[in-house]
Amino acid sequence: MKKLIHLCILFCSVIYLGCEKNAEGTSAASSIGKGGSLAKFTIIGNYVYAVSSHYLYSIDITDPSHPVKVNQSQLNYDMETIYPYKNRLFIGSKTGLYIYSVDTGSSPRLIGEAKHGRSCDPVVANDSVSYSTLKGSTFCGPATSGLYVHDIKNLNAPILKKLIPLNDPVGLGMADSALYVCNNTDGLKVYDIKNAYSPLEKMTIQGLGFVDVIPFDNILICWINDGISLYDITNQLQPVLIKKISN
Amino acid sequence: MLRKPFLLLFVFSIYFSSCWRYRNIDPPPGTSYTQTKVLGYKPVYGEESAAKKILYKATPSPVIKAGNIYAFRNYIFQIDPGYGIHVIDNSIPSDAKRIGFIEAKGCSQISIKNDKLYTNSYDDLVVLDFSDLNNVHEISRAKNVFVEYRNYSPIAQPPGSGYFECPDYGKFVVDWKRDSVIQLCFKY
Repeated sequence: MKKLIHLCILFCSVIYLGCEKNAEGTSAASSIGKGGSLAKFTIIGNYVYAVSSHYLYSIDITDPSHPVKVNQSQLNYDMETIYPYKNRLFIGSKTGLYIYSVDTGSSPRLIGEAKHGRSCDPVVANDSVSYSTLKGSTFCGPATSGLYVHDIKNLNAPILKKLIPLNDPVGLGMADSALYVCNNTDGLKVYDIKNAYSPLEKMTIQGLGFVDVIPFDNILICWINDGISLYDITNQLQPVLIKKISN
Repeated sequence: MLRKPFLLLFVFSIYFSSCWRYRNIDPPPGTSYTQTKVLGYKPVYGEESAAKKILYKATPSPVIKAGNIYAFRNYIFQIDPGYGIHVIDNSIPSDAKRIGFIEAKGCSQISIKNDKLYTNSYDDLVVLDFSDLNNVHEISRAKNVFVEYRNYSPIAQPPGSGYFECPDYGKFVVDWKRDSVIQLCFKY
């Protein structure tokens, strides 16, 4: 009887895994690539989701030879970035972080939001935590610049757990145990996120102007001011420079 | 005491500088503004079919302005907003190098699934087959889907700062050249 229950649990979890939509990959083995945190395009399942300042678009790509726009929502958020996680879209805007469910595929449904002062705002997230950088400036708005950590276990009500002030934050990327935050000419900050809600600064890589990053398998791909640099992140908290490609 | 209003004015003028697109104002009927000519950027227009043509070149191209990055399998892509997409071979990361350039005018975004590359060509969504590097080509296109991508396309404004001739949004800007222009639009 016990065996049967175990088998049943196993079977159900396999079925459940099957339900997870095919979101952006974290590795070279995935059929979908991975964007940086400043992207305005992303793919989940058979849809390209895109944002422009005031619109969220869904394009059905079930048949790539015949892409069809199936939805266009006008949203007055001043949207800047879109980040996929499982069947969710995390939209960074100048007024806050907006979380959408794409269970329905074609029409994303708003399921949570965390408003903030006007600023620029890329975001990365998983099931329980979201990290966003806000850059208050004359151009973006007056919010406090820094890394914002939200508890999103209850998507309907994200809770701000921590704010780490930073001078000039831009893009960011998350690996299992590390968070990489670009700070332009102030360097790339590496945080230990074993305690997800309380990132611990481990090191800063200086000397290059960092704009955005993609942790991809064991390589950290960085968009720097004068090119692209690659780091080995086999040890995620100790990136080692392996290549710089100049513009 | 005098400094604060000036600072405020300065901050506000920078803030509103992002609104350059709306500053192409016609003079009231029967009047005309003195239009001073200065050295600036002038838009180069192309026919729609030529402007939207996608071309893959299997040689590295100089970076005009670096944009978003994207990773797919052994490749890294970097958008050159308005001009195209740089392709980097990352099979051996310590020897990663630029190998080609997808010329796609008016582009700003990228996403890839199953060797199909999705990008925008001005306000169109365009799908490219990326399965064979010797034959990267457009396979389909959804026209005019991104309502805000056309006039806000990165190529709708010049690569550098300064005065520029306000573009005609009814046409397709394919490049910018230095020339004498009437000082109406300004990019900070």
